[in-house]
Amino acid sequence: MQNKSMIVCRCEEVSYDELVEVASENNCSARELKLRTRAGMGYCGGRTCRTMVDQIAHKHRTRLDCEISLKYQAPIRPVRFADLGEVK
Amino acid sequence: MENKVIIIGAGPAGLSAAITLAEKNIAVLVIDEYLYAGGRLLGQLYEESPGKWWNGIVESKRLFERAKALNVELLLQTSVSDLEKIEQEWIVHTNKGVFRTRQLLLATGAAESPFPIPGWTLPGVMSVGAAQVMTNVHRVKPGKRGVIIGVNVLSSAIAMELQIAGVQVAAITLPATNLLTKDSGNPIEVMNSLLHVSHMAPSPLVKIGSKFMKNEFMKKLGITFYPKNGVKMWDIPIMLRKAVVEIVGKDQVEGVVIATVNTDGSIVPGSEKRIKADFVCIAGGLYPLAELASLAGCPFHYIEQLGGFIPLHNEQMETNLDGLHVAGNITGIEGAKVALAQGKVAALTIAHKLGTSTTQQEIQRAIEDVETTRANAHIQFHPEVLAGRQQLKKIWIESYLNVTN
Amino acid sequence: MTERILSHPVLGVLPSKEKVSFTFDDKEYEGYKGESLAAALLANGIRTLRVHEETGHPRGIYCNIGHCFECRVNVNGLEGERACITPVSNGMVVNSGKTLPTSVRDWRKNNGK
Repeated sequence: MQNKSMIVCRCEEVSYDELVEVASENNCSARELKLRTRAGMGYCGGRTCRTMVDQIAHKHRTRLDCEISLKYQAPIRPVRFADLGEVK
Repeated sequence: MENKVIIIGAGPAGLSAAITLAEKNIAVLVIDEYLYAGGRLLGQLYEESPGKWWNGIVESKRLFERAKALNVELLLQTSVSDLEKIEQEWIVHTNKGVFRTRQLLLATGAAESPFPIPGWTLPGVMSVGAAQVMTNVHRVKPGKRGVIIGVNVLSSAIAMELQIAGVQVAAITLPATNLLTKDSGNPIEVMNSLLHVSHMAPSPLVKIGSKFMKNEFMKKLGITFYPKNGVKMWDIPIMLRKAVVEIVGKDQVEGVVIATVNTDGSIVPGSEKRIKADFVCIAGGLYPLAELASLAGCPFHYIEQLGGFIPLHNEQMETNLDGLHVAGNITGIEGAKVALAQGKVAALTIAHKLGTSTTQQEIQRAIEDVETTRANAHIQFHPEVLAGRQQLKKIWIESYLNVTN
Repeated sequence: MTERILSHPVLGVLPSKEKVSFTFDDKEYEGYKGESLAAALLANGIRTLRVHEETGHPRGIYCNIGHCFECRVNVNGLEGERACITPVSNGMVVNSGKTLPTSVRDWRKNNGK
């Protein structure tokens, strides 16, 4: 199949194959998978791919239901320095 | 500005809460990122009963005008980037300035969760919700002829909306299976989920389904002999035995490659065929958009039936953080009418805290209304939504006991 | 090429709105005042709004409601504006997102494969 070219994280163009391979090799958590591959670390902040990255990581680990596996970081929308410093 | 209740999200939950608060003479500020008020409600359009349409634009406008008439302050095109608590106040950071409140309601709704298909970054591939908004809200056709990948309640409803608007839907079909398609690529599982919504779809497929496919054997037989070219619903072929293996095009979508799949979703080798399309929709479902609740420090729990990680909350729509409330799809994926009812509960809870004449009975009645609305819902995104709600309630009570003991 | 839905069997006739003109990559287009830039461009048959900064792969709208940032363009000199939630106005100067001049070394294990 064409999974090699099948992108999961659109912002950083991280492929499905890379994610599955990294997850299998390192038996990693969703957060580690994100840090190793940059999936979910691009412009959108992982809003588009977070459910997919999370799911790939949990193929090898059981989910800890009581906490969010991929942390949200502020700012959740890009912020202009001009807006921060009120330089208009 | 400091004594106002702030609501983030001008969808059905946020607007309904704003109206309820304003009716109690409480000042409200609603913040939303979009061009118009209404949220996901804006795009909705379906026939509830013969000749009676649920028109999201009309409903949104009605809510918007009611809110305006009650002097609700509405700040559109305003993005919230951060949320923090300093002493007793919630500080809301936006691109239009910083706002403070003691009572905050998060009604941020849901985001779409895709599944990947080779070629899905090509221009012309969009989430199914994107096509809905383009068609019904902006009145621009997403294309001339499209393929929808993912067969579920939302995608079949939107397929019909596209058809009504004169946009040809060449097929609604399955994604080729991988780790991320879960049951969406498995014909039998998809058939099961469609049978569950048989009461809402006036389709020949579902009518056949609900009558003859009650037991597993018949279901298996049904899917085995399921016509390879699909069954037509509102003239749209629903292809449960086909899957898209690739989206093709040089600089934008030119078509998709579909293949026949076995009953378990595996591809029949050599069955690949290319069909033309100038747009493709991906319908992977919705998940609660709870980023602000997470930044605030809310505890969460993963509940499959509600669509993912849910900020813990009680029936009064309070989280365990003082002054932080939730309503609508952030609490679990359900229809707009449930969101409207939840918004009212959250507003009454806040009104009660602010010392206005709001009785416990009033809040209780509003909670009962949420339950009735849920029971009578036209569209159910997950067949076990009630079980999900009960699980959440149990977790809430347990976490509460842990704290007090 | 796509088109506007002027008359809809349930939603009715599209109310007439004020026309505005704007440019996208130096070409002039017409849109309706206040509608989203993404809608105005699509009505003019334009799907590609930017290319991926590293790979140059073309991108257009994906979520259409401000979540995915795939439709980000340069509006009147401001980078990173989402075309799907930016209202179009008269004289607006819009430019597509381009590749970045410096390439980033592909340090991934499977690079180039």
